[in-house]
Amino acid sequence: MKILIIIFTSLLILSSLSAKAEIKFSGYGSIIAGKTLGTVDDPLNPGQKRDEILTADFYDVGQYTNDITFNAESIFALQAVMDLSADFKVTAQLVAKGVDDFEPEFDWYYLTYQASDNLTLMAGRRNIPMYYFSEFSEVGYAYPWMRPPSNLYWWQITQFNGFHAMYNFDWGDYSNTVTAFYGNEYSDDNVEMLYYDKLYGGTARTVNEIWTDIAGVNWNISGDNFDLRFVYFQNDRDRETIQQDGSIDPFTPFSQTFMGVGGSVDIQSFTILFDWNFVDYDDDRGTEFPTYLVSLVYNIGDYQPYIVYSKADHERTKVPTEDLEEHYIMGYGLRYNFLPNASFKIQYDHFVDQGHEPTGWAYHGDSDTIALGVDFVF
Amino acid sequence: MLCLFKNVKWVVVLGLFVSSLLTINQANAEVAIVVHPSNGSNFNKSIIKKIFLGKSKSFSNGRAAILLSASPKEPVTEEFNKKVIGKSSNQVNAYWSKMIFTGKGTPPQEMASTDEIISAISANPDAIGYIDASAATGDVKVVATF
Repeated sequence: MKILIIIFTSLLILSSLSAKAEIKFSGYGSIIAGKTLGTVDDPLNPGQKRDEILTADFYDVGQYTNDITFNAESIFALQAVMDLSADFKVTAQLVAKGVDDFEPEFDWYYLTYQASDNLTLMAGRRNIPMYYFSEFSEVGYAYPWMRPPSNLYWWQITQFNGFHAMYNFDWGDYSNTVTAFYGNEYSDDNVEMLYYDKLYGGTARTVNEIWTDIAGVNWNISGDNFDLRFVYFQNDRDRETIQQDGSIDPFTPFSQTFMGVGGSVDIQSFTILFDWNFVDYDDDRGTEFPTYLVSLVYNIGDYQPYIVYSKADHERTKVPTEDLEEHYIMGYGLRYNFLPNASFKIQYDHFVDQGHEPTGWAYHGDSDTIALGVDFVF
Repeated sequence: MLCLFKNVKWVVVLGLFVSSLLTINQANAEVAIVVHPSNGSNFNKSIIKKIFLGKSKSFSNGRAAILLSASPKEPVTEEFNKKVIGKSSNQVNAYWSKMIFTGKGTPPQEMASTDEIISAISANPDAIGYIDASAATGDVKVVATF
């Protein structure tokens, strides 16, 4: 936190010294506390009890157990936008997460060039536009729930370095944005993959996760009362699991495709949010991950009670078996917008692990979790 | 499970009750969309909505639009969001937080008072804003009221 303050202050001083540099600061954050409510038979150690665990943030492995914690998903982010000229700007986002002991990192750092009224080019570090909520999954203020359902937003890679070309056009009364993107991500010391290694009794020193040639398209179409987004991308996958003695586990690289459709529809006082996605590996097992979420939000004054259901499945088409990973979360919550730039949220999550226990695929275990907190923007 | 649903229902009922207490009937003022007197572009509700959501960046005269909004405390903001954007101010704020932090849009510049909006628009041929219709002066051109 100290470092963040120092950087913030120095940026402020810099901006006040240089009258020419147009720098705008904004930011967002969440302060959230939560805990799981009970214990469960440890699915990976039969006969032993352990606290129920809900992984709220897979990428950084932010988890709730029976002990109340603020660290699983509290976050503070500061964005600086520097206008270099009328058409060029640089955007940097410094993000500090509780799960990282609030050590700030530049999660977003990119150049934007407004090539024309309709065409925007961006180059640098951004979130991969995977799921409907992926690009703003950490901006709690932007959606009703405590978090986009974590059993879908479970990937070990969420950011990449690359290029985006965004083209806006009208189609009748509908506004459209088509975005093409390309990039790579070399995630050294991947937190989530090392966590899985340990979970299954591994002692690896570190795991490097490598996603290359990430290439795809988003098509966003919105009208008076709806917003829809289609996504397709593919990329190559590789992994280096490095053992204590420096040896690297064998890994067969493969390609994956990701497709999906998600969005929101407003019907009078109700908002329906949904996201359906399908991930397909070209590995020798024919691995597939069909996932979806659906949520109903009731907008009544400053209150937004909601329910959200999310389901994730794991399949193999070349060696058919049902004995794999499968789970759903049923969430109930309330968002109360007590200020124009802040909201209070409380959410109860019922996680049901339907995975195959004997093969270790039920590794999450069931859980009931309560979390509450405040999301804000400035 | 049954017990959970009961709880949800209870929350909804409580929410309804509290918000009915808080929503004191405010006078439904008319909202005027105002531009510089020299701006001869075409305006209708759909065009205005797209401009204020950043989905259209220019007027029909080809010039880039400069967006001004009233303070969130002003009743005219809630009226504008409800009547023109078709969403509550909370939903509009959530929309902008998504746009700002994904680098896909810049929200209207918030002005401190109606006078400031009028003087900014009268000084800038590309500015557009909304004010309480009763506050419009000859310095700006009213292109639509809602």
